[in-house]
Amino acid sequence: MNISPEEATQALREIEASRSTMRTAIQSHRGHYYLWLWGLIWMATSAINWLGNQNPWIAPGLCGVGLVLTFAIAFLQGRQLRARVDKKFVAVCIAALAFGYIAWPIILGPPHSYKAAFGFGMVVFMQLYVIGGIWFDNYLLWVGIAVTVLTLASLVFFPGLFWAFTLLCGATLFGTGYYIRYFWR
Amino acid sequence: MEALDPVIHQPARLQLMAALCQLGAGLRVDFTFLREQLGLTDGNLGAHLATLESRGYISVDKEFVARRPKTFVAATEAGRTAFASHVSALRSILAPQ
Repeated sequence: MNISPEEATQALREIEASRSTMRTAIQSHRGHYYLWLWGLIWMATSAINWLGNQNPWIAPGLCGVGLVLTFAIAFLQGRQLRARVDKKFVAVCIAALAFGYIAWPIILGPPHSYKAAFGFGMVVFMQLYVIGGIWFDNYLLWVGIAVTVLTLASLVFFPGLFWAFTLLCGATLFGTGYYIRYFWR
Repeated sequence: MEALDPVIHQPARLQLMAALCQLGAGLRVDFTFLREQLGLTDGNLGAHLATLESRGYISVDKEFVARRPKTFVAATEAGRTAFASHVSALRSILAPQ
């Protein structure tokens, strides 16, 4: 295929025009709305606390509003321009948030007993197992979930059987190792 | 020297590939949004997208957003490479070695 220099110039002009149109169009789809929204929420929460209002529901309430607005922005923007969702990355984020906001502060809390401290130590490592398992797509995910569930369930529902459960957790790791070594194909 | 790609060189497809390659990797654009930005008709855009898709230069995904069918379009790696080669071929015509 051969074209004249004039045609090549014209084609390059059309390319630049199209690029420029798209550049302008996608400017409104960048992440600035989220940064503005959460920046404002952060500043509002800090200012309210600074002014002396220590109501414990203010921060979660503002964050709730922020979450609703975040989903609304994502929905509106996603109708025109949409990123391919890396499901593995989303799963890693959910795992990290679930450990960070549920397992640690709500279920475990600051270690208030030797059992809680022991459970804390186990769940720290299981968080790594779960994240590693999601990222590398392997058995660590299921081991991490199983041991975390056993540890937290024993602390919350069966504190009298805590050590029996931790024994079972250890057996889960040992048994998985045995299975991986001799039976996994 | 890079060769011109006749599939990409057609004016509407050139415009399309330039627009799609402007998107960041992993981003897809809605059919209607693309049509409005480029000023093409439904039929025209659909036909050119089909040609580019058959060459593996773009990917076309259909999915539902709020219960409505939507078509999202993105440039593939092969498409980005082909477009870059085409642009380079155009430049080399203006500045021959």
